[in-house]
Amino acid sequence: MSVADPMSPLKMTVATSSPSELAHRPSRAAIWKSALLDRASLIIPCVMLIGLLLVYASLRDGVFTLDELNLDTAAAMTLILAATGQTIVLLRGGIDLSIGGMISLGTVLAATRFGTDPAQAAAWAFGIVAIGGLVGALNGILITALRLQPFLVTLATWSILSGTAMIILPTDGGSLPSGWTMFGVSTKLGLSSSVWLLAVLLVFWIWFKRTRLGIAIRATGSNERSAFLSGVSPIGINIATYGLSGIFAALAALYLTTQTGAGSPTIGKDYILPSVAAAVIGGISLFGGRGGLVGTIIGAFILTIIGNLVFVLEVSSYWQPIVSGIILLVAVLASSIAEKSARRSLS
Amino acid sequence: MTELLNATAITKRYGGITALSRADFSARAGEVHALLGENGAGKSTFIQILAGAVRPDGGTVTLAGSPYRPRDPQEAQRSGIAPVFQELSLVPDLTVEENIWFRHEPLSAVRTVRARAMREATLELFARHRFPSIRPDQELRRLTLAERQVIEIAKALSRDPKVLILDEATSALGPQETEWLLGLARGLADAGSLVIYISHRLGEVREIADRITVFRNGATVAAYDTQAVDDETIITDMLGRRMDRLYPERKKTSTDTVALGLRGFGVDHRLSDIDLDLREGEVLGVAGMQGHGQRELFQALFGIGGSRGTVDVWGKPKTIRSPRQALTGRDGLALVPEDRRNHGLLLAKSVRENLTLSVIQRFTRFGITDPRREGALVDEMIATLKIKTGTPEQLAGTLSGGNQQKVIFGKMLLTEARILLLYDPTRGIDVGTKGEIFQLMRDLAAKGYAILFYSSDLAELVHVADRVAVLRNGRLAAILEGEQNSERQILRAAMLETRAA
Repeated sequence: MSVADPMSPLKMTVATSSPSELAHRPSRAAIWKSALLDRASLIIPCVMLIGLLLVYASLRDGVFTLDELNLDTAAAMTLILAATGQTIVLLRGGIDLSIGGMISLGTVLAATRFGTDPAQAAAWAFGIVAIGGLVGALNGILITALRLQPFLVTLATWSILSGTAMIILPTDGGSLPSGWTMFGVSTKLGLSSSVWLLAVLLVFWIWFKRTRLGIAIRATGSNERSAFLSGVSPIGINIATYGLSGIFAALAALYLTTQTGAGSPTIGKDYILPSVAAAVIGGISLFGGRGGLVGTIIGAFILTIIGNLVFVLEVSSYWQPIVSGIILLVAVLASSIAEKSARRSLS
Repeated sequence: MTELLNATAITKRYGGITALSRADFSARAGEVHALLGENGAGKSTFIQILAGAVRPDGGTVTLAGSPYRPRDPQEAQRSGIAPVFQELSLVPDLTVEENIWFRHEPLSAVRTVRARAMREATLELFARHRFPSIRPDQELRRLTLAERQVIEIAKALSRDPKVLILDEATSALGPQETEWLLGLARGLADAGSLVIYISHRLGEVREIADRITVFRNGATVAAYDTQAVDDETIITDMLGRRMDRLYPERKKTSTDTVALGLRGFGVDHRLSDIDLDLREGEVLGVAGMQGHGQRELFQALFGIGGSRGTVDVWGKPKTIRSPRQALTGRDGLALVPEDRRNHGLLLAKSVRENLTLSVIQRFTRFGITDPRREGALVDEMIATLKIKTGTPEQLAGTLSGGNQQKVIFGKMLLTEARILLLYDPTRGIDVGTKGEIFQLMRDLAAKGYAILFYSSDLAELVHVADRVAVLRNGRLAAILEGEQNSERQILRAAMLETRAA
């Protein structure tokens, strides 16, 4: 720009105390409001969970005890594990329906192959997790290489995995080593192994979300093109994302067998949509990039407590999906309103 | 002197379209090298090749004497080439600092990001290059376009590049940040880096570039030392013909009729007490530093966000609470928005659909569209605005930037509104199209249209507008006309407390 020299000392002063900042300095109240709105998608499910727990406690004694925590965590854990994988995929802006097939396949493999030898069981447990990772990686490769919708690719692999599970074990059954099914019963310091597993999962997440991969997954979900231009490999990120989802589905299957003591070729489908629901109630955006595992875990507990409530109220169990659906709608609506007003207060 | 970067006979085709043919480019360390050309000349494709985002079909590039063939952006970055794309490479849901260090974050022993080290590195980077103050912990989507542009530059610099590519980096910046960036580019070159500088603003190029390479139709047409060439020659090279003049003749066409009258107009704390009359046949410029209320003014007039005060349109009070209430045919207002890629155009839709989207009722009878009437309107607009499109069915996203902007103009003109709100309509557009748009604005004014025109390029306001209203801190600082309407006076009013306008 051809501005005359006498202007330049002026520019220096302007640059140090920018007038635009002075004009835009928000009030303390406004800062609080925007901080609250920013976290609305996590605050809302927290409030919902507390509300549900209070209702639950008013109907039954002993809700706020370690026993209840142990029980509810055990009830929620399979869903939490499945939803952890789903959370990672949703953060990347995708969706994974194949976890249904993987969970079914995992349970039937465990119920038919573990036998009674602990070493053999352990080897197969690792094998199942590896299969989960491989199937997930294959999802990632298909989605990237064929440029197909994640919804369609994982719908197809779900079907293939379910069929495979049916061939291995056509009806519910099989058996697991007795030590294996004791997993959920054992406790340490008053906390069941399920609660400890939840703690391990949280530690994993605190670590994972701060790794380069964790950031890259969120970034890709937020803006795929920008992530690519910044050096993220499109196929690498999809292999990692769907691979992790497959691994968590396999872990969910293994956990499930410790609870049921049997394999089931159809049980996986019960976790597909709830895993998405738990994540969305917990504030994960279906458009990718926003949310975290803490929200998903809260979402999974909300869904579990709704089941408890229906049981305590002694109403038909068909009320459970109805109430879950309403909670899902309220959660999505509330966070979308918060999101919009956050935008409005800014632009 | 040895060349740091040497590209010979680069070619690139997209389907049947040749983006680059025989493009040559050579530049040395320690210089600012400007790359000029109209939109569609192949500059963007060329730098995408350098950045590893696109692979060339033919030709060779050498970097510091050895062959350079990056397979992906990461490899380009490792070789020391850092691009600042016009299409920003930032991620909205990451924070400012996460964006800057994305893919090369400082890691701890357990491979997690060291937050404190990242913050320190960010502040150090900001201090070293005298960045405008931006909080590093904000999410990027909270930032304005100008701030994002600044962060994109920080991201490129965080890799200490040997070659920094700035593609239209100043087009989103206000005068203050522009000055800063020019100083930064010059400083980097003086410190031994190569800065490849792409801009449509010749003034900037003159100020900092040592050498200039000109592209036209995908090929290199000329390369000069900046000192040894005049603007006229450069423009002729870019256009392939002599351009008579960039700015059209300005005849006074305004009448006494007030088209748009504002009294006590304001938007929360960001815009206050605006009294302004836009007359029939007038081009009224709006100037101001980035973030002093221009955007709020344009958005509020178009019904985006709330406002207070009174608005008279063609002599009658009008309430505008949504774009729908602004777009009311002949007595309405139409807007050319700031971010044409995201707000103005549906890139995946055809030129025809984009043009007629807001005016479907103009060719609809009893709820059924009449394709013949639609076709006639579309053909007329394409002809009037000289939109370079294969057919009306070509996707808007495949047009050059200048032609995309023409489509938005067409869309706006089809609404028949005679009050036009133009927010930086020439941003990132080539010289040839700029000239056409200025001519169009003056022609429309002569036909009785009233035009409110914001530009981040002060020269445009000085040469195209009849009067210029200058905003400072959300208030009207001055209205300049005649002799007073100069870049110097605008800057004074925008930056200084003035006693009188």
